[in-house]
Amino acid sequence: MAPEEPILVLRGRGIVEGRCRGEALVSSMPLSFLGGVDPRTGVVVERGHDLEGLSISGRILCFPHGKGSTVGSYVLLALKKRGLAPAGIVNELPDPIVVVGAVIANIPMVVGIDVGEIETGDLLELDGGAGIVRVLRRGGPRPCI
Amino acid sequence: MYLTRDEERILDGEAGPGAQLAIRILVKLGDILGAERLIPVASAHVSGVSYKTAGDAAVEFLRELREMGAEAAVPATTNPCGFDERLRDILRLPGEVVRAQEEILSSYEAMRLRKTLTCVPYYETRPESSSHLAWAESSAVAYANSVIGACTNREGAPSALAAAIIGKTPDYGLHRPENRRPELRIRVDFEPEDELWLWALGFLIGELSKGAIPFLENIRALSDWELKGLGASMASGGMVAMFYTPDSPPGAAHVNTGDLELVEIGEEDVRDTIERLSSSDEPDLVFVGCPHCSIEELELLAALLRGREVREDRLFLICTSRYLRGVRPSLIEAIEASGALVIVDTCLVVSWVERLGIDVVATNSPKAAYYLPGLSGVRVRLANLRECVELACPP
Repeated sequence: MAPEEPILVLRGRGIVEGRCRGEALVSSMPLSFLGGVDPRTGVVVERGHDLEGLSISGRILCFPHGKGSTVGSYVLLALKKRGLAPAGIVNELPDPIVVVGAVIANIPMVVGIDVGEIETGDLLELDGGAGIVRVLRRGGPRPCI
Repeated sequence: MYLTRDEERILDGEAGPGAQLAIRILVKLGDILGAERLIPVASAHVSGVSYKTAGDAAVEFLRELREMGAEAAVPATTNPCGFDERLRDILRLPGEVVRAQEEILSSYEAMRLRKTLTCVPYYETRPESSSHLAWAESSAVAYANSVIGACTNREGAPSALAAAIIGKTPDYGLHRPENRRPELRIRVDFEPEDELWLWALGFLIGELSKGAIPFLENIRALSDWELKGLGASMASGGMVAMFYTPDSPPGAAHVNTGDLELVEIGEEDVRDTIERLSSSDEPDLVFVGCPHCSIEELELLAALLRGREVREDRLFLICTSRYLRGVRPSLIEAIEASGALVIVDTCLVVSWVERLGIDVVATNSPKAAYYLPGLSGVRVRLANLRECVELACPP
């Protein structure tokens, strides 16, 4: 990755190691992966969710925490095997469902971040080992990743 | 988290990729939940068995874990799946659904989990009091902690499976004595007249407890099946993993509860809870056995059904475990003489009831009443055991 001066550095706690760069998809609502995300398409299907109809694939998915069935962890692995998983995950609270999902699917993950500081469309760089999220660019067109 | 040398070796992959993934799950969970170490468990009980609720993602994950060579290191039991032979035929399940469910079961079997397929594994092998367990299935967790006096957190499907494979669980929460004390006093101003009122009270306590451990300080002595349903209701109403009554086994009598916050619950509150969960319409199907019926309940049902006949236009399904069905065949015969069907390995909540094209299910279980509308699109009529029999059989 080319060094780039971040406009904001958010420090949290690293959960799953790995670095990634991608466009943020931000929700203010807890997300259930089982029943809430279609494992065949990566699209959020929970009715009334603020991400309903949007694909989480390849994005850095930022939301407060998980909810719902613990089998939801397996959905993240199913997405990963189809190449549809998020590139990274940023949560405010570490909850077992998302943490286990990120571990088994090997998706870089940071928790303890106020996701209200991030907006959908921001270009982020996530370092799951150091527990750092850098906002490289606000909004703007979707970068090639 | 502190890891022993053996645990480090597993984490480094020396025991194979399946065990490595399992211990990674346990260590990450232990880290976020504040555990300092892993502790051995006597058994694991795994959820995520029904294809209806676990879906293709579980089929794939379990296949992968099996291919990695993972195997249970301690006795491990499994929750209900989506059907038994009878329900499969009644629901006319398509071949691909049957195959997906069978693949889940064969993966668990290959990993040496037992095909118990029940939410009441404790009737077959009762854990020792004070033993440490890693159990999923919220109703079994409440029973293990509160009735048996064993120690288990409310595990999820992946963490219970990981614990089965490693034989250990992170040491936090209800494994630690300081976290097992009552945190909330509950006083009721009425005597629950039947199991439905008791269990609806439990559901309401679950909602009001907000994760705290409730102590029901003036409840009458309860029988085993009443306690089983009480725990299930509290767990579905609001994440309760442990509760106390005046008769609780493990040291409850010595606990000073005087300083705890007091919540008073009246008859009206419970009536409202039943009405909130219930429809008054005529049922197409009557269902008992959420959680799976114990021998005591099967005896009650056999007595209530003696000389009765289930209506031709109605199904009366009674769910229990394959093990309990085999313990007292004469009871099953007596029940089925009425036309009621005893179903094993599954329960309506995790099966495909919607395929029956029915609108209303009658049951005595607030847990089933809470889950069935969302999972199967049916309405639920709550009725006690006696009323369930009346709804199933003409006078």
